[in-house]
Amino acid sequence: MEYGSIEREIHIDATPEVVYEVVSRPEHLREWWPDEAELKPVPGAIGVISFGDRNAPDAKVESLTVVDADPPRRFSFRWVYDEGEAATPTNSLLVTFELTASGSGTLLRFSEAGFRERGWEAAVLENAYREHVTGWDHFLPRLVTYVNRVVSTP
Amino acid sequence: MSVTVDDELWSAVGDPTRRRMVDLMLADGFGTATSLSERLPVTRQAVAKHLGVLHRVGLVHATPSGRERRYEVDEEQLARATAQLASVGASWDARLHRIKRIAEAIQRDREN
Repeated sequence: MEYGSIEREIHIDATPEVVYEVVSRPEHLREWWPDEAELKPVPGAIGVISFGDRNAPDAKVESLTVVDADPPRRFSFRWVYDEGEAATPTNSLLVTFELTASGSGTLLRFSEAGFRERGWEAAVLENAYREHVTGWDHFLPRLVTYVNRVVSTP
Repeated sequence: MSVTVDDELWSAVGDPTRRRMVDLMLADGFGTATSLSERLPVTRQAVAKHLGVLHRVGLVHATPSGRERRYEVDEEQLARATAQLASVGASWDARLHRIKRIAEAIQRDREN
């Protein structure tokens, strides 16, 4: 089994065209993720998303590099690479939205990959967390309050 | 959110042998390089090296015990690591639900 990525599927009662706009256009990105987004949804474009007041010292600003922009089927970008570097498969995470028509709506397949390449193996642990693997199970009940507090932040 | 993740801490718990060691120390309350190597298919030297990694990121505390050092898991630091990892998946779940809500609202508007 591969655990190098986080994968999700969700059905949306809207056409792939609409869903594509929501996942790729900055005015919609702002509604579901960062506070600010400047991004052209074209392959190779480098954009910026930010959290919090951009002029405040604790603002988080992240670059995104668009990889695929194929409306209304596929939108992907790389992020979480160091400032000043170009995004590559080994220094970033690849986020992909794949859309397929399903009934009158859309099946959205999401993945965030590249954890193993970054040496994180986050997905392994996420899986362990979700499935309450022996051992972690012993400890996790005590974590719940803490986790709830952390996951409620963006 | 991914950007707040501490790379070193993640790598420390990302290794399966180290996770197994953490599990054993949690179950027994503590462990030494010798006691852990007896229960794992790795040498005492390898276990000692892994304990060094866990110690550097604060996941275990060491206290001298005879000729060995006795290691205990720092539950607060482990909670931090686990929460960061869980939050990556959970944050995307929340974002995907917002995407769904927004797209469905737009669709309803266009149909009306």
